[in-house]
Amino acid sequence: MTRECTDTRHLGKDWQVNISTERDGGALVIKTEGRIDGSNASNFQNSVEAEITTEDSAVILDFEQLNYISSAGLRVILLIAKDLQQKSKKFAICSLSTLVREIFMISGFDQIIAVHDDPGAAVSALQN
Amino acid sequence: MSDKQDRYKILVVDDEPDVEPLILQRMRRAIRSGRYEFVFAQNGIEALERLNLEEDIDMVLSDINMPQMDGLTLLEQIPKVDPNIRSVIISAYGDMENIRTAMNRGAFDFVTKPLDFQDLKHTIERTLKHLIEWREALASRDKLISIQNELTVANKMQQSILPTRFPKDTNYNIWANMEPARDVGGDFYDFFRLEDGRVGIAIADVSDKGVPAALFMMSSRTLLKGTAIGLEQPNKVLDDVNDLLYEDNDAALFVTVIYAVYSPEDGVLTYSNGGHNPPLIVHSDGSSTLLPYIGGIALGIAPDMTFPQSTVNLAPGDTLILYTDGVTEAMNADQEEFGMERFQEVFKEAPPMSSQEANQAVFNAVHAFAGDTIQSDDITCLTLFRSEAGS
Repeated sequence: MTRECTDTRHLGKDWQVNISTERDGGALVIKTEGRIDGSNASNFQNSVEAEITTEDSAVILDFEQLNYISSAGLRVILLIAKDLQQKSKKFAICSLSTLVREIFMISGFDQIIAVHDDPGAAVSALQN
Repeated sequence: MSDKQDRYKILVVDDEPDVEPLILQRMRRAIRSGRYEFVFAQNGIEALERLNLEEDIDMVLSDINMPQMDGLTLLEQIPKVDPNIRSVIISAYGDMENIRTAMNRGAFDFVTKPLDFQDLKHTIERTLKHLIEWREALASRDKLISIQNELTVANKMQQSILPTRFPKDTNYNIWANMEPARDVGGDFYDFFRLEDGRVGIAIADVSDKGVPAALFMMSSRTLLKGTAIGLEQPNKVLDDVNDLLYEDNDAALFVTVIYAVYSPEDGVLTYSNGGHNPPLIVHSDGSSTLLPYIGGIALGIAPDMTFPQSTVNLAPGDTLILYTDGVTEAMNADQEEFGMERFQEVFKEAPPMSSQEANQAVFNAVHAFAGDTIQSDDITCLTLFRSEAGS
């Protein structure tokens, strides 16, 4: 299913973040599209957490369509990671664009969050 | 809130003696349940006396034609006692002229004689509902004003802790500036002299903005300075500050930091990076070097981290620029970012001759680029200039 996380339509498509989900084995793959910043970060977090069911043993954020993430966005990724750790669920992100990859690298977030090239690699890594 | 919330006092103003027993009889259920309390006055003068004496009257129900002071005159006087009291007028059936006058003088509604008590109950309930909403609106407005006042205080506090007396030595000088995007920001810079004659400099960016970020920024700044004064190695400073910030950080806030120690004698800069944009060095010919990525994670998110450290030499005429992503990610009307390329372009034609000049050039370029576009992030820049030998 697809859902809009914020009502930022007046700013145009580039300023929104939308998510859609699919399941692969026990993993919930959340495709994330647009940008995550201070204006929509906590809505994004709520939308993601609302999608996670007790059956999901792993959660993967697919960032292929994510154009930008601000520090407020990184913070909610951290909150999601902490929440999943508490629920003993695995967590990874995948398919980062060059810019988003750079943001994760410079901030050092790639040292504490598993980053994979694509959803397939993330799913098989989390199944092991 | 007290139970005053669902108890309302209504002042009935009418010179006809049978109105009081009639209302008490027909409204007895609402009176017994405690929702309504009725008090009575015979004319406008008496009504005003009661309003002045009893501060808890919520609503006035008044006849128009009365001796001494009529209802229309009373309507004009009520707001002077309390602008938040609502009035309902009782008029003769079909007396549109008086009804219009009453409405124009601020009556909330009207009922007609002979009184239909079912309709009167509806009218009273509707008036009280409006009153409740009005009071809630007033309360939230007051709250907003007090929050805005607090933000103004927080903004002043935050600006006041950033040092503004910039060192101007014979062989180096420092300049810095922070422009917050909202009332309170999450960026900061700092510089201080260390015991061995070297200088500690820092720039930092707390995740998110607003009050929580500002509080996190305050404690980050205090911890960094406190730790830096006791330790020689920048990376050891970040190791310690990271662990201190990590404790009790349930909100998962974090701060990216560059902390460097500069030796004015020989131009050696030793720096550590905690997840921050790499520093830029502008040379005296206008070219510039972006220092390489050395690793290092934002502070406050994971315990027991080991931070990297590197060393670089500033040549005479070099300017070190520490900045936050508010500079490189400043947007223009076309939603383009200022970016590293434009940043480095600033100095190509005009290499800076002092830290102040370099700093102002950065802000001027960002302002010119962004134009009227609303600033979405704090913009902070700290510059250190190594003077030419002997100049």
